[in-house]
Amino acid sequence: MTLPANQPGNLSRRTLLVGGGICAGALFGAGLVRRWFRERAGVFIARHQRYDGDLVRPIRDGLVATGLNVEEVRGKRVLLKPNLVEPTRSAPHMTTHPAVILAAAEVFRLWGAAVTVGEGPGHLRDTEMALVESGVADALDSGKLTFADLNYDELGFVKNGGRMCKLPGFHFPRAVLEADLIVSMPKMKTHHWMGVTAALKNMYGVIPGIKYGWPKNVLHHNGIPETVYDINASLPKTIAIVDGIDCMEGDGPIMGTKKSMGLLVVGTVPAAVDATVCRLMDLDPAQVPYLQLAANRLGPIDDSLISQCGESWRPLASPFQILDKPHLNRLRRHRGVLVS
Amino acid sequence: MDWLASTLASLAAQPVIGYAPAQSPATEPTALAALALIAAGKARQAAPALDFLASCQGSDGAVGIRHSEPSPGWPTGLAVLAWRAADDASSRNAYAAHRRRAVDWILEAKGTAMPRSPEMGHDTQLVAWSWADKTHSWIEPTALNVLALKRAGLGTHARVREAIRLLVDRLLPVGGCNYGNTVVLGQTLRPHVQPTGLAMLALAGEVGPACRAGPDQVSDRAARSRPAAGTYLERSLAYLQRSLIRPSTAMSGAWALLGLRAHGIELANGAELLAAAHRRVQAHDRSPHKLALLALAAQNNSLALLVSDRGRAG
Repeated sequence: MTLPANQPGNLSRRTLLVGGGICAGALFGAGLVRRWFRERAGVFIARHQRYDGDLVRPIRDGLVATGLNVEEVRGKRVLLKPNLVEPTRSAPHMTTHPAVILAAAEVFRLWGAAVTVGEGPGHLRDTEMALVESGVADALDSGKLTFADLNYDELGFVKNGGRMCKLPGFHFPRAVLEADLIVSMPKMKTHHWMGVTAALKNMYGVIPGIKYGWPKNVLHHNGIPETVYDINASLPKTIAIVDGIDCMEGDGPIMGTKKSMGLLVVGTVPAAVDATVCRLMDLDPAQVPYLQLAANRLGPIDDSLISQCGESWRPLASPFQILDKPHLNRLRRHRGVLVS
Repeated sequence: MDWLASTLASLAAQPVIGYAPAQSPATEPTALAALALIAAGKARQAAPALDFLASCQGSDGAVGIRHSEPSPGWPTGLAVLAWRAADDASSRNAYAAHRRRAVDWILEAKGTAMPRSPEMGHDTQLVAWSWADKTHSWIEPTALNVLALKRAGLGTHARVREAIRLLVDRLLPVGGCNYGNTVVLGQTLRPHVQPTGLAMLALAGEVGPACRAGPDQVSDRAARSRPAAGTYLERSLAYLQRSLIRPSTAMSGAWALLGLRAHGIELANGAELLAAAHRRVQAHDRSPHKLALLALAAQNNSLALLVSDRGRAG
C-alpha cells in the first residue's frame, strides 16, 4: 500500500485542493498556483475565540481565505489529526480542545467530506484513556464521529520524501494513507527540545506506536528536526488548524502552564502556519530546527512570503515563556533579555 | 459475569484476533486471547492462537506484530507466556522449541544505553528491552520480557536482575510510572495507569532492597524534599488503587487490576470496573484486543499464567 509522496515543489493532490479563496483569489491557472504554492502562502488568524463560541465560522473562513478549494473537498475523506500526546484532566491546555475538533468536523461535513478523527498518542499505549482524559471521547460520541487509532492501525510503507534522516521511509497507518486530506490540528505550545510544537511536529502522531514504540523513539534516535521534516515531506497532503485559544508555555509540550491567547490559526501550508504561530509566541521561527529544514521546501517561513488573512500577527504577539536552556535561548534572542 | 462467558465464547470461536474487528490478526491480542482461554480451561480452543503465534515467529526467534510485520519483536515475551501456559495446561511440550528460540531472542535483544545526562532523571546506562531495535529501554517491553523470562525459569538471570533495577529506577517519587521517563529537564513527569500495572506485575515477588530504596537520582528539589515515608513500590500500588476509584478504561483497568492482584490486593469494585469497561468497549470500538484483555483480568487464575509462583527465582 503506497501512495505517491508529496514531493516538495511538485504539484501534489494537496495543491490541487488549494486553488481558490481570498488570499489566492488573484491566481489563475495551474502554473500560477504552483508558483504561488512554492513561494507564498496564506495564513489566517482569528482572535477573540472561545471554546463555547462559534468556531465553525472562523475555521471555514480561514480555510477558504487561505486557498482551500471547497469544491474539491466534496466526497473526499478528511482525517482530522488533533494532538493528544499524553492527556490528563488536570492539564486540558496540553491537548487540542474537543470543541475545535467538532467545529472542524462540521466545516468539512458541510462541504460534503467524510470526516474521521485519528491520533496515535505518543506517550500512552491506552488510546481510549487518551480520548477519555482529553474529553475527545465525549466529543466523538456527540458528533457521531469515527475514530482511527493510528497507533494500532494496519500499515503501509511510504518512501522517505525528505531524506533528511537515514530512514528509508515510514510505515503509515491505513487511515492516513487512505485520507484525501489530512488536517493537522495541534495545540499552540512550547516544546522543551524544539522550542515550539504546532502543525508540523503534530504529525509525529501519525506514526504508529506499534512499529515505532511509546515514545516513538525510532524518530528521536534519527533526529527530531530531520524526522519532523521527513514525515511531513512524505505525507500526501496536509493543511493546518491550530488551537491557539488556551495554549501552553514554559515546559511544553506536557508539563507547561496555561497561557490564554484566544486564537485560531488556519492555513493550507503547515510550514507557514507554524512560522506564524512562532511569531504569535514571540519566538523566532528561523531558530526552530525543523522550520529551518522546512523553509522554502515545505513552504515559506519568511514573513515577507506569508500573506496574513484575518488578523495581523503583530498586535496579537505575546511572549511565551520557554525554559532557560542553552538550546532554546536562540529562539528568544531578539527579545534582548537572556536569563543566562 | 455474563459478559465474561460471552466474551470467552467469542474468543473460543475466533481466537486469532486483531486490535480492531476488521483488522488482520496481530500477535499481542492473539496471545492475550490464548491466555484468557487457557485460564478458563479452554486450552483446546486456544490452539489456533498458539499456532498463529508460532507462524509469526521469525528464524531469529522473534515474534513480530503481525504476519506482515515481522519486526519489531516486542510481542515475543507475550508469545512465550501463552506458549508456556499452553504447555503447562496440556502437560505436553508442544511449543517448547518455539519458547526456547523466543527466549534466546529475548536474551539477545537489548535496549540502547545512553550517556548519563543531568537533563534525564533515570539511569540511562541500565539496559533492558526497547519497543524497537536500536532504541532505549522502556517500561512495558521490559515488564513483558521480565514476566516471560521468569516464567521460563530465568528469574535469576543477569538480564532479569538488571531489568528489575531498571523498572524500580523508572518509578516516580509519587508512585507509579509512565512510559519510562521520570524527570526531564528538572521536571518530574506524571504517572499513568497501564504501564504502572504492568510494572507491578513484573515486580511481583521482588522484595529486595532495590524495591525499597527507589531512585536516588531525582534531580528536582520538590521530589527530593518529599517525605521518605513509604516505598516506591508501595506508592505505586497506592497510586493504582487511587486511580481505580473512578471508572477506568479496558487496557488500563485490566493491567492495573492484574498488577494489584500480583501483590495480593483485590479491589472491591474490581468486577464492576471490568464490567463497565466491557460495556464501553462494546458501545464503541468492539476491540477484540481489549475484550481478550478484560477476559484475562476477570479470571482469578490468570495470574498464575503471568507471574511465576516461585517469585524471583522463577
